[in-house]
Amino acid sequence: MSDMDAGLPSSAPAPRATVPADVDLDRVWTGVATQVWRRDPGRVERLAGRLLRSPGLARALVVTPSLLLAWIIATVVVLFAGAGATLATGTPYVALLAPAVAAAGIAYAYGPGIDPAWELSRSMAVSDRMVLLVRALAVFGLNAALGLAASALSGAAAALTFGWLIPMTAACALALAVATVTRLAIVGVAAGVAGWMIAVLSGAAASGQLTTAVTSSALILPYLAFAACCGVVVVYATRIPKGTS
Amino acid sequence: MNVDITGLTRRFGRTQAVAGVSLEAGAGVFGLLGPNGAGKTSLLRMMATVLPPTSGRLRLLGRDPGSYGPRREIRRRLGYLPQNLGYYPGFTAAEFVEYFALLKEMPPGEVPRAVAAAIEHVGLGDKARAKLRTLSGGMLRRAGIAQAIVNEPELLLLDEPTAGLDPEQRVAFRALLRDLGQRATVIVSTHLVEDVGAACTEVALMDAGRIVFHGTPDELTARGEGTGAAGDAPLERGYSAVLAAARSSTAVA
Repeated sequence: MSDMDAGLPSSAPAPRATVPADVDLDRVWTGVATQVWRRDPGRVERLAGRLLRSPGLARALVVTPSLLLAWIIATVVVLFAGAGATLATGTPYVALLAPAVAAAGIAYAYGPGIDPAWELSRSMAVSDRMVLLVRALAVFGLNAALGLAASALSGAAAALTFGWLIPMTAACALALAVATVTRLAIVGVAAGVAGWMIAVLSGAAASGQLTTAVTSSALILPYLAFAACCGVVVVYATRIPKGTS
Repeated sequence: MNVDITGLTRRFGRTQAVAGVSLEAGAGVFGLLGPNGAGKTSLLRMMATVLPPTSGRLRLLGRDPGSYGPRREIRRRLGYLPQNLGYYPGFTAAEFVEYFALLKEMPPGEVPRAVAAAIEHVGLGDKARAKLRTLSGGMLRRAGIAQAIVNEPELLLLDEPTAGLDPEQRVAFRALLRDLGQRATVIVSTHLVEDVGAACTEVALMDAGRIVFHGTPDELTARGEGTGAAGDAPLERGYSAVLAAARSSTAVA
């Protein structure tokens, strides 16, 4: 039986004297416990496991909303960035920079300050960056689903959902797909960012604002400064705290 | 050697947490002793591939964790219990262990049996389906140990594993350590000298980021004989004597 608490389990098997000597009761009990405690993954998790080629990532995807505080923080930042991008329609640089704000918020929410098991997650074979990508998809995807429901009641919710949440869910899905195929999160992120930029810039080009958004020299420094700030936030949010002993 | 470290350092800004540590460890239970702030946790984090070294050479299970592929392979065979292990309060103990078994990329078909065996090993069988938020500190620590051993690791790193365990559980845990040490390299960071004396085949003592002693518990005990060093037990006196000698030599230098 257990090594640390011998005799504790109330469902302990019968005394050894009553069973044949060639029966390993520990093994039998572990077999029983295996069946009793087994958790069967749901359909979504099984499908995600096949698509992501990783049962671990699939599990991380479906449990993302259960980390409630992290989920709320990530959702607030995503909606805040989305509101900015939606209200500033016609100024493409806002839409280009909004994903950086959202990414920094999600990285913070699921970083060491909030995720209680973050340090342990860093020691796992499944890359923590892949887990972060999966969580970003979960945040956008579930919020997009809620946004769709809210769109029936509010025009503002529809603008936010169709102008931000659904396109960002698609960009995240693209990033995750590329990361899964290449097995490199950074390549996936690059693909997702590229996809989003193409979408925003083609919209800007269609409305004749592309030149202003991309080539205006006055915007280059703000772009770089903002991107650097978001980069610092992501690095800070995913840092390793100093050793304590 | 499962752990092969040469001249390992780690800096946090101006603070040098680990200062040129060299160490080798094969199968067995290896105790890492030292006062608070000695650098034990930082060294363990580097061995857990959580924290990259500032400089030096680190090889784990015959591989270089600096590259992605070998690091992933190391992590599949690694068990790690951090000093401050956080828990997902809404998970049951079994779900918690299963989650990390999956993140260790264990074959999914093997996971349910491995989870059951690990939970039984640490005596949490009757709490396997209880939410973590309902468990005591000692039980949570045991859930943490269960996730660390679920993949039958070849390298097991435990940071203050007996914190929160009652005396009976600590005795049982030391027996578990000795059992695990027959097949794997188990490195236990602790400031509890009695844990080392009871379970470890080798011990290193750290102070100010350096290893100031490396040998067997008996050799550490011998260092305290006739020195008048403080301590209630022989091993504690050895610990105090080595620390005092290391600090006085540093002060002279």
